[in-house]
Amino acid sequence: MNSLFLAVPIFLPIILGALLFLIPAEKKKQRNAFTMFTILCSSVSVWLLALNTPQESLVLLNFTDNLSFVLKLDGAGKIFSCLSATLWPLTALYAFEYMSHEKNLPMFYAFFTMAFGATMGIAMASNILTMYLFYELLTLFTIPLVMHGLTKKHNFAARKYMTYSIGGAAFAFAGVAFLIVNDANNFVFGGHIDSPSDPTIALILFVFAFLGFGVKAAVFPFHSWLPTASVAPTPVTALLHAVAVVKAGAFAIIRLIYYSYGTDFVKGTWAQNLVMALAMFTIFYGSMTALRQKHFKRRLAYSTISNLSYIVFAATLMTEAGLIAAFCHLLFHSVIKIGAFFSAGAVLHKTEREYVHELEGIGRKMPLTFIFFTISALSLTGIPPFCGFISKWFIATASIETQNPLAVAGVVVLLISAFLTAMYMLSPAIKAFFKRSDNTNDVENVKEANALMQIPMGICAVLCIVTGIMATPVIEIIKGVLGI
Amino acid sequence: MTTMTLTCVFLPFIAAFISAIIKNEKVRNVVVILSTTASFVLSVVISQGQAQTISLSSLNFNIGGFNSVYAIIAAFMWFAASLLSPQYFNGHHKLSRYYFFFLFTMGATLGVFLSADLMTTFIFFEIMSFTSYMWVVQEETKEAMDAGKTYLAIAVLGGMVALMGLFLLYNITGTLMISELYSAVTSAGKSTKLYVAAFCLLFGFGAKAGMFPLHIWLPKAHPVAPAPASALLSGVLTKTGVFGILVVTGQILRDDEIWGYTLLALATITMVLGAVIAVFSNNLKRTLACSSLSQIGFILVGVSMITLLGEENALAANGTFLYMINHSIVKLVLFLGAGAIYLGAHTLDLNKLKGYGRNKPVIMITFLIGACSLAGIPGFMGYLSKTLVHEAIVEYAHLSHLPIITVVEWLFLFSGGLTAAYMMKLFVAIFIEKPTENTPKGKKLSPLSAIALIISAVAIPVIGVCTSLVEKITYPMLSLVEGHHFHHEIHYFSFTNLKGVLISLTIGILVYILFIRKVLIKDKTYVNPMENKISLENQVYVPAIKIISAVVGVICRLFADSTDFLVFIARKSVLTDAKEHTERKRKYAYALGDVLDHFKHDKTHKNANLFVRVSETISKTTQSISSNFSFALFMTCLGVCIILVFLIISFK
Repeated sequence: MNSLFLAVPIFLPIILGALLFLIPAEKKKQRNAFTMFTILCSSVSVWLLALNTPQESLVLLNFTDNLSFVLKLDGAGKIFSCLSATLWPLTALYAFEYMSHEKNLPMFYAFFTMAFGATMGIAMASNILTMYLFYELLTLFTIPLVMHGLTKKHNFAARKYMTYSIGGAAFAFAGVAFLIVNDANNFVFGGHIDSPSDPTIALILFVFAFLGFGVKAAVFPFHSWLPTASVAPTPVTALLHAVAVVKAGAFAIIRLIYYSYGTDFVKGTWAQNLVMALAMFTIFYGSMTALRQKHFKRRLAYSTISNLSYIVFAATLMTEAGLIAAFCHLLFHSVIKIGAFFSAGAVLHKTEREYVHELEGIGRKMPLTFIFFTISALSLTGIPPFCGFISKWFIATASIETQNPLAVAGVVVLLISAFLTAMYMLSPAIKAFFKRSDNTNDVENVKEANALMQIPMGICAVLCIVTGIMATPVIEIIKGVLGI
Repeated sequence: MTTMTLTCVFLPFIAAFISAIIKNEKVRNVVVILSTTASFVLSVVISQGQAQTISLSSLNFNIGGFNSVYAIIAAFMWFAASLLSPQYFNGHHKLSRYYFFFLFTMGATLGVFLSADLMTTFIFFEIMSFTSYMWVVQEETKEAMDAGKTYLAIAVLGGMVALMGLFLLYNITGTLMISELYSAVTSAGKSTKLYVAAFCLLFGFGAKAGMFPLHIWLPKAHPVAPAPASALLSGVLTKTGVFGILVVTGQILRDDEIWGYTLLALATITMVLGAVIAVFSNNLKRTLACSSLSQIGFILVGVSMITLLGEENALAANGTFLYMINHSIVKLVLFLGAGAIYLGAHTLDLNKLKGYGRNKPVIMITFLIGACSLAGIPGFMGYLSKTLVHEAIVEYAHLSHLPIITVVEWLFLFSGGLTAAYMMKLFVAIFIEKPTENTPKGKKLSPLSAIALIISAVAIPVIGVCTSLVEKITYPMLSLVEGHHFHHEIHYFSFTNLKGVLISLTIGILVYILFIRKVLIKDKTYVNPMENKISLENQVYVPAIKIISAVVGVICRLFADSTDFLVFIARKSVLTDAKEHTERKRKYAYALGDVLDHFKHDKTHKNANLFVRVSETISKTTQSISSNFSFALFMTCLGVCIILVFLIISFK
């Protein structure tokens, strides 16, 4: 395929998304159709590209010989772009129903579509400069989505999101500049930095860049924007704050470790131990705090914090097994968490109940929604045969293989976190299905979510089971695509 | 053979979905009974073929040996429980849920017992843990939900720790196939890591078996589940835990003393503890549940003896396996009996059940058979198994010369005595004492339920009398723990062997007469002075968890808010908001509007007011953009861009 096609999934949604502003606010059907058309076209083009990848890269803009905006689709990019391309149409479908009573819809759908383009840009960037550009672009496109409600709460959340994201990107910039200066701009598996003139500076800048990209991946201590941003509409929290934006952070960290710096240089240094320890603490902190949350969506947001650090932890192992494990959890967690958020959103949409204790007995009235939620819950805990088990298995075996004592301690953290996960994810499910007799919570008028919401949830739940049972082919595909 | 084995395991899963669809209760009962029967028949058929390993994707199943025997027992127990279910659940709600999880758990349990590698074991083990949770909470009462919480917590915790053990084990050996483990472990050599792995597995499987100190769920969960489910929880599901411990004993830490002694210590505590609380209990099913706890202790004592005796483990190995089978079947009979009582009486309180069973011969006889076997009375299967394990302890005491083993032997006999005592208490209360006016009349057993009770009980006296059957049953199972055949024929009814049981029974009768009748019966009602007094869960675990989570929570919060705090400090110090100038702007806007108003004819809408409003909005917006922290960040971003441009230019 011609390398020019690489530009399609990036610029098609951005341009057509901007055109969505032109559709008058009251023409609901046309707008939905146009949004769906744009997203589907882009998704199909991503899949076509993934199956038939152009060998050459596409230079968008050339400043100097080694500084340019270049697109190229490699293995890692394929995984991330295909994941987003699969989940975006599902979320759009869900959003049509969920957002039907909201205001400011032209703005919502426009930015929702444009964010797709920015995410594809991150996935397809061939050097760190290009990735950085799209990374910032994604922040800008998603701020209006967080702010959607336009109340004081929403504005605050959006500002906090912006503060953290832009601040973090500025942090990361130090590392980016270092890489550019050292001719390590392009992504090559194995990295470039072998023996820098000043290793300490190199490592300090590595930690800076890690923390900077870690803001989007919600690594401690830059995680607190994520729970605050859970005030955004559910499609946004589900897709952007469980998949696209936060996974972009994790993806950037993977790029940084495996494709820019290279594992040989950082492995075994204090920098590796530091970032690994941060990831481990975040895993524990996220689960622990999720358990203490009463607000359903915020609980899921903390759970996302914890699970993102699973990916980051696997990436910081700096082995090939770690990379596979990281991508495995990146894929599976997306499917699981988006399903869980869809269920929480369905409850919110149908009943406007936000808190876990309000869920009591609701599962009788919304059985399918809560069956799907239970599947996500079990999957997230890591119960076989659901897919979460597979990725946790790979993370744990990869970390034991490293023989690094800290990594082995990480397995213990992983298991404690899994225990906490079971507690915080299963308690809403149990509450929903079993109503205590002394509870006066009225669920008489609760109705099941309709098909437009159930189909995306159902697909996610089925994916949880199918990828769990057929784990070997999935892992083989990941290995093959990454070329390991 | 491959298809049949896979059908045997997966048929219940499929049947579960079918039964969930069927709305008609009668049709569903038939489907459930048919599918349990089919699985039972299949498990018997595959056990007749030669031993082999069957793979399906990453799942590996093994037929033959221990696997087949326990698959048959498990399938049989499900079959028997499904026969009692129609009458027991007559008129109950949410049955489609119950039957769905009933069959689903059956498939998972068969998967555990037929598994050839620990990975497969673990997968089915976890499925089983979660689906059986639904049994515990089936009644949805407060007690049931509470018990379910404890059950789930321990199940998840145990599962996670076992998984950790599997990770470590896989890292050491590179294989999880049970048949290859021993050679892999031997070539890797013993290391701390191996011990950690083994004890993680002990934690995980021990939690399911109900071993001290992870037993807390067992006395809570077994009584609240519906009777057919309690029979399976007690009889089969605990054995999956024992199965895991047996694998560690036989294939990972074979003949290891540390393992043996740890197991012995925990097993002895479990054995005595369970028996003591069973004596105090006044609730029929709770007594049986505590009895299960104690019996698991007996079995684990046998397992520890297999390890400690090493080459001489013939008595211990055969005894342990027979004990497991005995306990499975006895608990099936007793819990089904309890179910038969409950479906007529709707209570499990001994004081209300007084004399309830006097004119119900089927329940009475089957209950008596179970009780006798549990108490170890000669002529019943329980006697044989108890004798073998007891002789194994005696043998080890003799070989090791350790006085502590003799203490274990006495505790073993003492617990056996307590077993006899609490079973006597149950039997006398329900079947012998005179009915009071509170005793319910009861309901006639349906033929199906009666058949369930009778076929469950029939094996106990048969094996108990035909002692030659013992070897036929236990010899195929020995390969799991590398057990040995008997060196010589065992004279079960010789005086030395009978002596142990006589001591036990004497203790039992003395406890019954001197303690239960004197202390635990006041004014002709059974009292429980220990009720809600001592609880490991409420007095140790829950407070400990609360304290830890509070402390950790505070620490986490402190760390978590540190960044927000820094941002706050920055906003208040370096990046303070600019002063407002709205007042002046509003004046200008009003003046301008006022001037324009003079040229207008229509005086209803004053431009002046509109201008003021617009000006206010503009100044507010600009303020919120320009005068705050985010703006500063945008400036940072701009700065970054400038650096970038500089870099680009400098590279040219």
